[in-house]
Amino acid sequence: MEQHSQAPIFPSNKGYLKRKKFYNNVAVFFAVTAFIIGSFPVFHIIYKAVSIGYKYLNWRFVSTLPTGFPIGAEGGILNAVVGDVYLIIIASILAVPIGVGTGLYLSLFGKKRTNSFLRLLNELMIGIPSIVWGIVGFYVFSTNAGPGFHFGFSALAGGLTLGFIMTPIITLLTEQAVNQIPASYIEGALALGATKWQATRAVILKAALGGIFIGILLGVMNIIGQTAPLLFTNYYNTGMPTGVTGPGGAVGDLAMLIFIYIHEPSKILHYKAEAASVVLLLFIFALDLGLRLINYLAKKFIL
Amino acid sequence: MFTLKYKDDLFKFILSVFVLSVVLVFLISIIIILYYSYPSIARYGISFLWTKEWNPPKEIFGALTFIAGTFLVTFLSLLFAIPFSFGIGIFLQEYCPFFLRGVFTVIVEMLAGIPSVVFGVWGVLTIVPWLRESVEPFFNAHFSGVPFLKVEENIGYGILAASIIVAFMILPIISSITKDSLASVPKLAKDGALAMGATKLDVIKDVSLPYALNGIYGGIILGFGRAIGETIAVVLLIGNQAVVPKSLFSVGYTISSLLANTFTFAVISPIYASAEVELALLLLLTSLIINIVGRNILNRVIGGRFSRSQFGGG
Repeated sequence: MEQHSQAPIFPSNKGYLKRKKFYNNVAVFFAVTAFIIGSFPVFHIIYKAVSIGYKYLNWRFVSTLPTGFPIGAEGGILNAVVGDVYLIIIASILAVPIGVGTGLYLSLFGKKRTNSFLRLLNELMIGIPSIVWGIVGFYVFSTNAGPGFHFGFSALAGGLTLGFIMTPIITLLTEQAVNQIPASYIEGALALGATKWQATRAVILKAALGGIFIGILLGVMNIIGQTAPLLFTNYYNTGMPTGVTGPGGAVGDLAMLIFIYIHEPSKILHYKAEAASVVLLLFIFALDLGLRLINYLAKKFIL
Repeated sequence: MFTLKYKDDLFKFILSVFVLSVVLVFLISIIIILYYSYPSIARYGISFLWTKEWNPPKEIFGALTFIAGTFLVTFLSLLFAIPFSFGIGIFLQEYCPFFLRGVFTVIVEMLAGIPSVVFGVWGVLTIVPWLRESVEPFFNAHFSGVPFLKVEENIGYGILAASIIVAFMILPIISSITKDSLASVPKLAKDGALAMGATKLDVIKDVSLPYALNGIYGGIILGFGRAIGETIAVVLLIGNQAVVPKSLFSVGYTISSLLANTFTFAVISPIYASAEVELALLLLLTSLIINIVGRNILNRVIGGRFSRSQFGGG
């Protein structure tokens, strides 16, 4: 206790501490600056898109087909909105059963070695660049020469290619959701004599439903912004599709519409591209909000 | 009990079919890319990789221009993104007040959710004019003698514009993995250092970073994988001219932007298409290797947990 009255052990302690604190403050400054610069585009992209495209942001814009010359100078983006619905539905028909099924298999049946192989495969599929998926989709679905499905540039070809991109995301999230269920739930069901199918139907699907939905929404969020795979499988249609395959089977798409409009020299199309970006961003942020809500509710009520 | 057993077997059978179809899709993709690139591989051999000329009418194909463009854009975007994502990760995990952490993390995840084409349009309308009107004249006036900083055409489009946008696109991947890796540091070690009188900077520097460094490497590798395949934003910004870039400001071409621009015309001639598919094969192999390495590292450090930022729209 007498130590308090004595001189400090290290005479330079005070300056040392000050210097330490100064360095710490410098680090805080750099970290905050990095965050501000890194998050700047989020706000500026939204600001720029709204400030340029606001004139067109009304109900008519999303409910009329593009007309005029160059096409799109008048009218709206209905073709793209409808086309996105087509693509999402087709992709989901492929990706939801396969993704959820694979995720369930991984967490219920897989042996250790098959599992690690399948997980690696899944992660690799997530990592394949979307332009490569576009080329694969072209040769599998669209091309008219050689082996393949010969769907032409169509909603079916584009949607199924997007489904390839969506599947591994759903698989991953399903597996994570099932693995998060407390083991006692599943073991309890199995101990009562339930088969794996009964346990899945009665316990696992209910408890993991939130996580599976999050996977599906994440998948939709991802494919809705994809442009590169559609370049070779669906391209673009300024009108309504008359089918899902062959001639007339191509659909419009928001991302594709923005990509095409920004290439045109006409200023008015640039404004419309920005207005369409606002619609696309609204859609994506709504999905984002939805999956955050599901995440919150699932944590609160299911588990 | 027969029906129960039967149902269970059926369930397992259906799931196995789904799993097999995933494996099949992966194998078919690889086989298709290999099959259609074979004519080009057989005809041009390994010298395809370092031949400069790309002349479809004469059927002379060399990929050097596009490989150089791709690696330059990827390298520069990583160079821009790494310090910032490092700062963001440290800020979110260590310095940010707790009640703001959730909101700020959402902002970074929103950056990951913005589609590539929207980034591209923003680049065309914001970054390109800024480069053209402020940055390039400045470099032209002060650094015109420096070899790598020479402004050839003052147009704004080019390697630099594309790299800046790609840097913003891989920022959320690297920073969220940095954050997750820092979060995996045992709290006891950090508290111990704090109790010894270390400042937060000391804790980050001497405790957290050495522990989290492997995870951060994994994040950088995954960011590399994302940057190398980035297509649409690059198409809009790089200038799309088949020249080997000599400076930061020159226009160029990447593998992915070449495929996006010309593949639909290329399929008319089998050998032209084959050369383009060989480029796709290069892209595919690079990204597969990168993902195997990066995932391996991350599985060891943060237990294979995927963060949301890793699936942005391409």
